[in-house]
Amino acid sequence: MSATEERRAAVTGIGVVAPNGISTETFWKSTQEGISVLDRVTREGCQDLPLKVAGEVRAFDPAVVEERFLVQTDRFTHFAMAAADLALEDARLGQADTAADPYSIGVVTASGSGGGEFGQRELQQLWGKGSRFVGPYQSIAWFYAASTGQISIRRGLKGPCSVVASDEAGGLDALAHAARAVRRGTDVMVAGSTEAPLAPYSVVCQLGYGELSGESDPARAYRPFTDAACGFVPAEGGAMLVVEAERSARERGAEVRAYVAGHAATFTGASRWEESREGLAQAVRNALAEAGCAPEEVDMVFADALGVPEADRAEALALVDALGDHGRRVPVTAPKTGIGRGYCAAPVLDVSAAVLAMEHGLIPPTPNVVDVCHDLDLVTGSARVAEPRTALVLSRGLMGSNSALVLRHGDR
Amino acid sequence: MNVQITEEELAALMKKAAGITVAPELLRKQPATPFETLGLDSLGLLGIVGELENRHGTPMPPDAERCKTPQAFLDLVNSALMAGA
Repeated sequence: MSATEERRAAVTGIGVVAPNGISTETFWKSTQEGISVLDRVTREGCQDLPLKVAGEVRAFDPAVVEERFLVQTDRFTHFAMAAADLALEDARLGQADTAADPYSIGVVTASGSGGGEFGQRELQQLWGKGSRFVGPYQSIAWFYAASTGQISIRRGLKGPCSVVASDEAGGLDALAHAARAVRRGTDVMVAGSTEAPLAPYSVVCQLGYGELSGESDPARAYRPFTDAACGFVPAEGGAMLVVEAERSARERGAEVRAYVAGHAATFTGASRWEESREGLAQAVRNALAEAGCAPEEVDMVFADALGVPEADRAEALALVDALGDHGRRVPVTAPKTGIGRGYCAAPVLDVSAAVLAMEHGLIPPTPNVVDVCHDLDLVTGSARVAEPRTALVLSRGLMGSNSALVLRHGDR
Repeated sequence: MNVQITEEELAALMKKAAGITVAPELLRKQPATPFETLGLDSLGLLGIVGELENRHGTPMPPDAERCKTPQAFLDLVNSALMAGA
């Protein structure tokens, strides 16, 4: 992103609410140790559905969000508020800082499933009792844009606010949108995605996806890039990041943890995984071009890792298409095999892990995966010691979107 | 039957419909405190009006959802319930 130096988009805060940790520290500890937390679905009303394994955020304490927001918003927004608080705290931006110039801070989120649990409750009122029994907050709580709006209201952030609804890859698109807003003059963007698709209505919607894993053994349910690949496991939770103009960060003495250096998105059609090879490769090329980054400079790749043989093959080939021989040598990882795939939230958690990996000099492994059957260097077993300074994060959506994001290392 | 909405009932409705905790005593002593100050937005008040209509089986005046304070709201809905009794 060829911005002037001082308006480069820097990551200055990370807030994670993930199945394997509801703080950035526990998330990273679990991620770098390759711990899998995939388990049988226990969310209310979901136990008897054909989906057996998921990544649930069991440690989440809703009390971190005020009661009025618990009543008025969906679980995906509760996650978003908690993650935004953690990210702003991590960036050392308190209420007094944001209140001093509220128009300089905006919010952008991506959402794939909206507020399914809230929506189901109100729709049951509608069909069970009648329209007069549907609560007014239904008019906003289940919409894709709910989390953006409620973070903005709750934290008093009055800068540009928007939602990206572009499929799972939208998680990366939201971060790119934030970087663009920063380059155009907004000092700070709170950006990312959280999802809560583990409610009965939402799960039933997903059952139609041919890519969804029906395996009931948590250790075998999500094993991309292997002969045993049988689809993906869904997850809830996500992450919010503080994306900030470098100048703003420097002026207030905040640490730059990474730079959002390049991004591109393409579209190749729903479940057309063979075609996604070309779409993904083009997204990578364009993202590298925007970042001014040569293929050989990519030190690690966070793969989309769908877990469908045709899609895995397309991704492995796309890496070679876009990076040449380097695509066979560069370390590739997919930590989401240990926590599940949280739709739009999945690539934002990958970006969080990528930043942490650059800071710690450690490429996290791909849990539950052994015997890789594609021509790529997938990090399995335990974390690999390295000095990654440039990360490439990939994401594809079931509806056909492909995105690539390039991160450069920060101060650490 | 002459039903009147009390401060206790309004406080309970605010809690149920919008997650707002307010002491009935405060509603009694400072009934002119704006709903906005108490944290109740227009959707929250709309939900309370709907709940009252369902409970009492009678429509509330159109202005009920536009009341700015507990006092104005209780005066309006209670006179409507009185008239409908």
